[in-house]
Amino acid sequence: MTAVAKAIDRTVGFDIWQLWYVLAVAGALSGIAGALPMLRLAANRLVVGTPLTAAALGPAGWLIAALCLFGAIGLGASRSRFAALIALATFATALVWLTVALGQAATDLTAGQPPATRARLASGGWAGLLMLTCAMTWAAGRARIGGAGWLAIASLLIAFVLLYRAGVYDSLSLAVEYRARAASVQAAIVQHIALSAAAVVLAALTCALLYAWRSGRYAVDIAINGLQVVPAVALLGGLVALVSGMLAAVPALRATGLSAIGPGPAVLAIACYLLLPFWRGLEGALRAADPATRDAATAIGLTRRQILLDIHLPLGAPILIGALRVASVQAIGLVTLGALVGAGGLGGIVFDGMAQFAPDLILLGTLPVIGLSLLIERSLSVVEDAARRRLRG
Amino acid sequence: MRLHPALGPLLVGLALAALSHPGVASVIAMSLGAPARRPLSATRLVELGSHHLALASLGLALVGSLGVGLGVVATRRRAERLRRTIDAAAAVAQAVPPVVVVALALPLLGFGGPPTLLALVAYGIMPTLRSTVGAIEAVSPEAREAGIALGLTSRQVLTQVELPLAGAGILDALRVALVLSIATTAVGALAGASTLGTPIVAGLQNQNLMPMLQGAGATAALAFLGDALMLGAVALLRR
Repeated sequence: MTAVAKAIDRTVGFDIWQLWYVLAVAGALSGIAGALPMLRLAANRLVVGTPLTAAALGPAGWLIAALCLFGAIGLGASRSRFAALIALATFATALVWLTVALGQAATDLTAGQPPATRARLASGGWAGLLMLTCAMTWAAGRARIGGAGWLAIASLLIAFVLLYRAGVYDSLSLAVEYRARAASVQAAIVQHIALSAAAVVLAALTCALLYAWRSGRYAVDIAINGLQVVPAVALLGGLVALVSGMLAAVPALRATGLSAIGPGPAVLAIACYLLLPFWRGLEGALRAADPATRDAATAIGLTRRQILLDIHLPLGAPILIGALRVASVQAIGLVTLGALVGAGGLGGIVFDGMAQFAPDLILLGTLPVIGLSLLIERSLSVVEDAARRRLRG
Repeated sequence: MRLHPALGPLLVGLALAALSHPGVASVIAMSLGAPARRPLSATRLVELGSHHLALASLGLALVGSLGVGLGVVATRRRAERLRRTIDAAAAVAQAVPPVVVVALALPLLGFGGPPTLLALVAYGIMPTLRSTVGAIEAVSPEAREAGIALGLTSRQVLTQVELPLAGAGILDALRVALVLSIATTAVGALAGASTLGTPIVAGLQNQNLMPMLQGAGATAALAFLGDALMLGAVALLRR
């Protein structure tokens, strides 16, 4: 069989195994999307509701499935960049169309119902969106054109924003929830970014200061590694307990603006966890220049300051950016938990949603967290790769 | 003489455990000037601790078997193309913090253990998988080739050459996974799982310093003791 496949591969010019693989993936996609509920119609925002299958999408569902198959076949049939680009465009179209079809179905379902009725995306709808996103990433990788993925993401975002403005998604439960609290969600996103940035800056400065303390380096290393073992919930709880105890013991401290609850303790606790990535990054970056280079720099009479700025910094830049990437992603996750001690940010929305058991409110808080950390992760790793390439020449 | 690496975490863990004891905790709270309230009894702490430990161990067992198993599969010659996908998936999985997994699982799985367990697996599996792949790849090609030259089958190369040589590295990955799962289980208290995080969350909600202090001490103690245990195991294996 393999021999036959190879013969076909030679004559027709495509990889037949790839085609089978792709067809299996496409089959799974349509199978899952067909078997799982696409939407749920609920009487209000707190109940789960009754599931609705893909039939609710009408003929658009079949066309989207056909588009998925077309894209997968295009991706499997040829390894050329052109085919990959076509597949990327096909998957992107299918993704946008799926959201529009879901929005339309939601509008039809909620028409004539009481205003509290919600049409919520169900497991099949989420699975479909997620799989199409994965397929797009796959196609963008195969296109091997720098920036194809970013361009696709940017155009998709613009399309989604325009469609939202046009009111296509207005009946989807998530959009209804967002409209009810748009201002607070936007404020929470800004606050979340500010808190994460504060923690990252605080950790980076502390780490640099600690590194300058030469004789204590071994002890600092042990302490920073040990801090990592402390569970975040315990550190937050312990810190609040200690600070509130201190405030009770010395009430005069209150005048200095110190408080046990709020953004202060949260940023402090989060910065403790970010010390380790920065510490490792700093160690790695300073080791990146080999001893011979350092000796040569000293020999030609560079000052210590010049050696740091002209030798260590450029050579260690990719490692430092990597440290910043890891620390930033961790910060965004930990700030979510910081809402536990009243720090605010998106965690507040998530905890509100958990307390009310309201799925849409939870999504409203968690989706921006995931989006923010993915955005930071991806963009800083692009910068990191660029720095690494520049170093290699 | 070099100190045993497990000694530090062991001592810190024991000190924190002592701190969470009702007697010690009430003395500390009193000295901090907090209003005298009834501390959590030792039996309640042990009960919460054993729940915590059971949930975390179950998570670790799942993470360990799936992570190490998939790591072994990913290092086989045939799966070479999967390597980049694994790295990408690991990066994405890290972008979804445990609180978010717990929150997202809440409407689907309800309150208590199940959302916590999902968070444990979702957050722990990728780092373990990646470290396992790293540990197996760090086995020198010479050792592998010597095994092949001796006439070992590829299965024997795995069980008699690769896994023993990568053992310490894999155990180290499991140590990180254990610490991670103890921390994530504490987050599970937010979803109503009864763990050592529960007194912390309750204390934060009622502005009650005592359970906060005790819960934080006990959770951290558990993490340090687990760390010490795994460090001891790694040291034994390296000897």
